[in-house]
Amino acid sequence: MPSLMILIPLFGVIILNLVFASNDKMKRAAFWFALALFISQIAVAIFHHPIFWNNSLKPLDSFFKVSFFVDHLSFIMFICIGMVSIASLFVAKYTITEEGGRFKFINLLILASLGMSGIIMVKDIFSLYVFMEITAVSSFLLIAYPKSLESLEGAFKYLILSAVATVLMLSAIGILLLASGGTSFFAIASGIAEARNSSLIVFAIGLFICGLFIKGGLVPFHGWLPDAYTAAPASVSVLLAGVVTKAAGIYTMIRIVTSLFPYNQPVNNVLMLVGTISIFVGAIVAIGQDNFKRMLAYSSISQMGYIILGLGTGTGLGIAGAVFHLFNHSVFKSLLFVNSAAVEKETGTCDMNKLGGISQKMPVTGATSVIAFLSTCGIPPLSGFWSKIIIVIALWQTSHYAYACLAVLASIITLAYFLSMQRRVFFGKLRSGLEGLKEADRGVLAVSIILAAITIGVGVFFPFFFNIFILPVKEILVR
Amino acid sequence: MPGHAILFPIIIPLITALAVLFVPKRAGWAKEIVSVAGTALNFFAAIILFRSNLNFSIPWSGFGIDLSLRLYQFSAFIILAVAGFAFLVTLYSTASLHAKNYAKQFYVYLLLTFCMVNGAVLSDNLIVMLFFWEGTLLTLFGMIAIGNKNAFKTATKAFIIVGVCDLCMMTGMAITAHLAGTLTISQIAITTGGLGGLAFILLVIGAISKAGSMPFHSWIPDAAIDAPLPFMAILPAALEKLLGIYFLTRISLDMFKLDVHSWASTTLMTIGAITIVLAVMMALVQKDYKRLLSYHAISQVGYMILGIGTLVPVGIVGGLFHMINNALYKSCLFLTGGSVEKQAGTTDLAKLGGLRRKMPITFTCFLIAAASISGVPPFNGFFSKELIYDGALERGLIFYIAAIAGSFLTAASFLKLGHAAYLGKGQSKTDVKEAPVRMLIPMIVIALTCVLFGLWNALPLKGLIQPVLGERLEGHNFAGLPSNALLVIITVVVLALALLNHIYGVRKSGKAIGASDHIRHAPVLDSIYDRAEKRFFDPYNIGLHIVNLFSRIASWLDKAIDWVYNVMVVRTMYAITGAIRKLHTGNYSSYILWSIGAMVLIVIFLIRSI
Repeated sequence: MPSLMILIPLFGVIILNLVFASNDKMKRAAFWFALALFISQIAVAIFHHPIFWNNSLKPLDSFFKVSFFVDHLSFIMFICIGMVSIASLFVAKYTITEEGGRFKFINLLILASLGMSGIIMVKDIFSLYVFMEITAVSSFLLIAYPKSLESLEGAFKYLILSAVATVLMLSAIGILLLASGGTSFFAIASGIAEARNSSLIVFAIGLFICGLFIKGGLVPFHGWLPDAYTAAPASVSVLLAGVVTKAAGIYTMIRIVTSLFPYNQPVNNVLMLVGTISIFVGAIVAIGQDNFKRMLAYSSISQMGYIILGLGTGTGLGIAGAVFHLFNHSVFKSLLFVNSAAVEKETGTCDMNKLGGISQKMPVTGATSVIAFLSTCGIPPLSGFWSKIIIVIALWQTSHYAYACLAVLASIITLAYFLSMQRRVFFGKLRSGLEGLKEADRGVLAVSIILAAITIGVGVFFPFFFNIFILPVKEILVR
Repeated sequence: MPGHAILFPIIIPLITALAVLFVPKRAGWAKEIVSVAGTALNFFAAIILFRSNLNFSIPWSGFGIDLSLRLYQFSAFIILAVAGFAFLVTLYSTASLHAKNYAKQFYVYLLLTFCMVNGAVLSDNLIVMLFFWEGTLLTLFGMIAIGNKNAFKTATKAFIIVGVCDLCMMTGMAITAHLAGTLTISQIAITTGGLGGLAFILLVIGAISKAGSMPFHSWIPDAAIDAPLPFMAILPAALEKLLGIYFLTRISLDMFKLDVHSWASTTLMTIGAITIVLAVMMALVQKDYKRLLSYHAISQVGYMILGIGTLVPVGIVGGLFHMINNALYKSCLFLTGGSVEKQAGTTDLAKLGGLRRKMPITFTCFLIAAASISGVPPFNGFFSKELIYDGALERGLIFYIAAIAGSFLTAASFLKLGHAAYLGKGQSKTDVKEAPVRMLIPMIVIALTCVLFGLWNALPLKGLIQPVLGERLEGHNFAGLPSNALLVIITVVVLALALLNHIYGVRKSGKAIGASDHIRHAPVLDSIYDRAEKRFFDPYNIGLHIVNLFSRIASWLDKAIDWVYNVMVVRTMYAITGAIRKLHTGNYSSYILWSIGAMVLIVIFLIRSI
């Protein structure tokens, strides 16, 4: 069954190019095809509860020679991927006016989603690498797609840093293969368990974690991220910030750390330290930004820090909090990027010094971004509050009082930069020259409203979501 | 009589108030007619309820909080008095307020006040009483606030002073309920030892602040100027005295077991004596009709507190008798003040004069009431004061001297007031006429009652007051002529001295209004008066100064904290941000270097921690 999640986008791309590439009219319809595809992917994920998932469809699975595996954590990632892909699709429809360009974008989007679906289902470390590269390559192309100097530079930075990460991870995989004689998670886990104190294996673990830090854009491995996010076209920023870095970096980190490596204190210390540094550096640098999207990029780094910090506690609650924050972040950060796309498209700029008071002309965009940033800062009862408080509680329970206090303190800085963003962009007096401003188109507004509704809904019905979907995630610790 | 009948004094004013509220604006006299009819009905109900003992209780909110009401001799007496004043003052208001645009609001507040006062008097449960008691605070605020343009400030002042005192009372009630183990007032019987003493003090603060005693008085003179006049005649002059002294009597006699020679008694008497002297000193030098009266409204409370504080039968009877007498003559005096204000257009004594010929009936009523308050025999004030003197003398000479000094100054100030306003040459407008009949009737009725209660003092004493005390009186009967002839002689001598003092003052200054100038400018008093007139001694102003000081300190602290947050933190933050931003050169070789460097550190850390 899990292979369906790969097969849908795979055959989707093929059908897309066979059927829809013929003329401009068909290319316009490609949008609806991709939408249907992503919705069906979400539907498949939702209607197959993880318990029934792992019955393999023998003939199909043998087709791949890769064993797929789905649990509660993958389920949440599926939802994130589907949701953010749809948001990105709508933004593309809104911002990319040229039919051919949009068609290419849809192709790459489906491929990226294929890669990410693979990442979250594989059971062996080499396949993981392969799917990660699929995602990464389609992301490079997506960033570079406008072919402007800026976007090429952003893509190139991502490419170079990704290459470094690839080198690190491949070396680690090689060493682990040597040490354990297999690439499946199970084989590596048992191999590591046997030679726990071998410095070679610890070296490999270190390399692999650092590779993932680069992919996830944690400080000080984050150099590529602000440039890539800012240079990428709006729809790609949504995809990158909403899900790509999370699937490639954070999800893999959670999976690797819990089921592969000995989940021990030194690794936890590294995770918590890097997480805290990311939280603070991301937040502090975000304060000084003048570019809307760049501020959101730094904010992303800061929020990734929270997820890693929660993961670093090593307890079930901490991981549940991390996963919950991952989900919430992909909701509200894609919402903010969608809004930034609307602002960029309508005003033609992302420079906050040239914006101001546009809430009067774009009320929905202004209101939903208020919800998103309040959720980011952790204001109850929005969803971000609950995930942050769970991470803080988990830190407190494991006696990491200093980290807990810092995590709370950083929320204030988050509030500071988002309040200044909101004031400079949306509130206050309408800046002259923006009098003719119009609200974004209906599709984008619908996406904004739905994402805002998810943020509020998950926050208000927090116990339901948390107990049914998030808390079972901690089963991965048992395995 | 059915137990539900006890609800009439609460429900009738309430329904009337709601009815007035729904009277359309164009309906002319309808609101006046409804109000007068409602208060008349209330008066009728009070008469019927008089002399009946009723208990009524329904569960209200659990925890021993029942809506329990109790009608017995004392509460029935207060209800009757309240209903009488309510009817007369409402009738008076129909004439004096009709043209005012706030008239409708005033009637609603007034009727709600009657409802609340009746409820507070009747309730036999501390919490229920507190509910009605606080209700009077709200209507008090409303009635002052609708006055002239300064009224809102005065209303706030009154609200804060009375509110703080009510808060004290609330705390006292909580302690009392804790000590007594019950909220039912008629079952409470505790001592003033330890925590009980604190409870007593707190409850007394609530009661005497309602009555307007010092040091909780300072809003009354302001309200006299700013609030609508009938308000002064009904609330500070009559209803609040009745309510406050009623509750003080309940505290001192029923709820707490007080010994005659206890500290509690001495404290009460001291408060009473100080209030008498200080307030009347202030009254003496006032140059405004209403403001002068308002200080007397404070001063007279002192006599009541002094009388009840003696805890000897003659003092208590005197205090309660003085309570009803004061309500009568003080409301009568305020009503004459209102008539003068309406007809002559001012209450400034310097601009008044010679009203005796133009407003003879008002003048006569004023004369009777002024004689009563000064304690001239055979008016009612004379008899109640004699009883209080008797009680005070029994407890200590100093209290007697304070009381008699108060009498001297009271007489002096009313000689001045009467002389300046009614006698002498007319400086005021020439076309001043007598007040309309609806304003005269209440004045006449009250003035006649003053005479009646004086000449036939057995009627109030035997019929109203002595039954309240029951066996406590030990067979005494205080009706008839005063028993101590020496005290009567002293009183008469003091009144004569007051007259001589007045003549001396008028001669010296050359005009009636300057009759008290020689006291005002006496060597030591001069500076004290100066300070008092600058509100140096007003507890409210002192409180405001303290609060101001605190708020200034808090504001400095706040500014300092603001500076830390708004300047220091922000500057630090921008410095750090700028430094980190400079590191982000966009040069990816440096990014790679960071990554590699961090990786090396992490790997070394992991390997070292094996």
